Amino acid sequence: MFELEGIFNAVGNFLASFLGSPLLQIVSIIAVATVVIGFLMVLALFLVWWERKLSADFQVRIGPMRTGPHGVLQTIADALKLLQKEDIVPLTADKKVFFWAPVICFVTCFLAYICIPFGKGLIARDLNIGILYIVAITTFTVISLLMAGWASNNKYSLLGGMRSAAQIVSYEVPLSLSLLGAVMLAQSLSMVTIVQGQGGSFLHWYIWRQPLGFLLYVTAATAEVNRTPFDIPEAEQELVAGYNIEYSGMKFAMFFLAEFINMFTVCAIAATLFLGGWNPPFEFLSFIPSWVWFLGKSLLLVFVLMWFRWTFPRLRVDHLMAFAWKFLLPLAFLNIIVTGFLIYLFE
Amino acid sequence: MRVARQVWSGVYNLILGLVTVFKHLGHKAITLQYPDERMPMFERSRGVVVLLSDPETGKLNCTACLLCARACPVSAISIVQGTDPDTGKRYPEKFEIDNTICAFCGLCEEACNFDAIKLTGKYEFSVYDQKLLQYDRDFLQELGRGVPYEKRKRPAPKAKAAPKADPTSPKPEKPTSPKPEESPKESPGEDKPEA
Repeated sequence: MFELEGIFNAVGNFLASFLGSPLLQIVSIIAVATVVIGFLMVLALFLVWWERKLSADFQVRIGPMRTGPHGVLQTIADALKLLQKEDIVPLTADKKVFFWAPVICFVTCFLAYICIPFGKGLIARDLNIGILYIVAITTFTVISLLMAGWASNNKYSLLGGMRSAAQIVSYEVPLSLSLLGAVMLAQSLSMVTIVQGQGGSFLHWYIWRQPLGFLLYVTAATAEVNRTPFDIPEAEQELVAGYNIEYSGMKFAMFFLAEFINMFTVCAIAATLFLGGWNPPFEFLSFIPSWVWFLGKSLLLVFVLMWFRWTFPRLRVDHLMAFAWKFLLPLAFLNIIVTGFLIYLFE
Repeated sequence: MRVARQVWSGVYNLILGLVTVFKHLGHKAITLQYPDERMPMFERSRGVVVLLSDPETGKLNCTACLLCARACPVSAISIVQGTDPDTGKRYPEKFEIDNTICAFCGLCEEACNFDAIKLTGKYEFSVYDQKLLQYDRDFLQELGRGVPYEKRKRPAPKAKAAPKADPTSPKPEKPTSPKPEESPKESPGEDKPEA
């Protein structure tokens, strides 16, 4: 009864009753985009706050406490402060590229949500190449980081941008390959079909048939979103802040929020492909709406990423590259081969 | 085989680290939110100096004997003696402590024979004007209100000393002869009240 699908369908039917077909399409596209972006902005603000609170808990501190109960309004205050700040552009910067880098970063992180199923029927567009599209579109982030690093005309920015380009391109390979196992099991690239393939009890989730794939994906995804232990693009001790060092005000906020939205994206993909998406773990729990299950699983994975961040030390650049090419990549190939062999054997 | 062992050792240590960090989630932080919460100060902590009053009469315990002023290593205390015309008792007409130079050493408290001066746990006395740190008698008395202190045991004659109205000095206790009234310099050595 708390499923949101009915509400959206009702609104759609209501709009269809007095809008013509081309107008209806435009209105519904704008409406869906607004809902998704609004939800993601709130989620990103929540994640920033959660990260700060969790880091405080892990370090036996208390974290933000003053703004609102337990500091829940802290990130809203921070965002408002960043909005008011002066937008400083370095004198020697490449102005156009400097301006477009955060925009591209911010836009591409939302594009992946076109085909992420938030719940039963809650998907903007069920593309038949869903997961391929997501993997392709999230890689755009690296262009924006490189643009930001280059346009700032600052050695730290440039180093950060170059590092992140090298890292993301390297980790993109094991990341995509680790997803292939789940795709082979579902026999489809569509996100909805993948989720439906994992219906029933939690034993049908692909994590049990793809344990290695799941571990590889989580590892590569951590590197993909530049989080510790793979956060060398923004290693504070070496690069001050990495690619976004020259950015201030709202442009910095765009990079910052995009980072957290990207983190949620990779966790949502992992939850969809390996943890059954919006399927409840048991049949009798299906009275809880599907979007709650999806959000719960994604946030659990976000928690794991934050847990990683406050546990592991940062890797060195050469270790990072060696880890991707010499360890993760062979394992990802092995995973595909074993999966294919077992599928051939049992089906 | 060696590689497998290395991988296993790496994974094991990663998990060990994760478990250790996770255990800290349940710990309660000892952080105090300072302006809202304050750490209770210890009884013998040496903060701002106050003048103590008799809880019954509300009058200062101080008899302006100048012992504290003499004991003070930085000369932060300046006293002007006065005599109460009714009782003939000495009292501090002026009692000033310069808190900018006070070292919170506690020697004045040790020197005092009348539970009149005490270092307290109060520590918030930052002001914008340096002159405000020259604490006068009334301010010190206000600070000292409600500060608990233990009355030192004195030899019995203490009660007698007041009615006798020895105008010169109520400080010397009966048994010690009238000598100390003329020579307060000797008094620091006099540890009778503590005995």
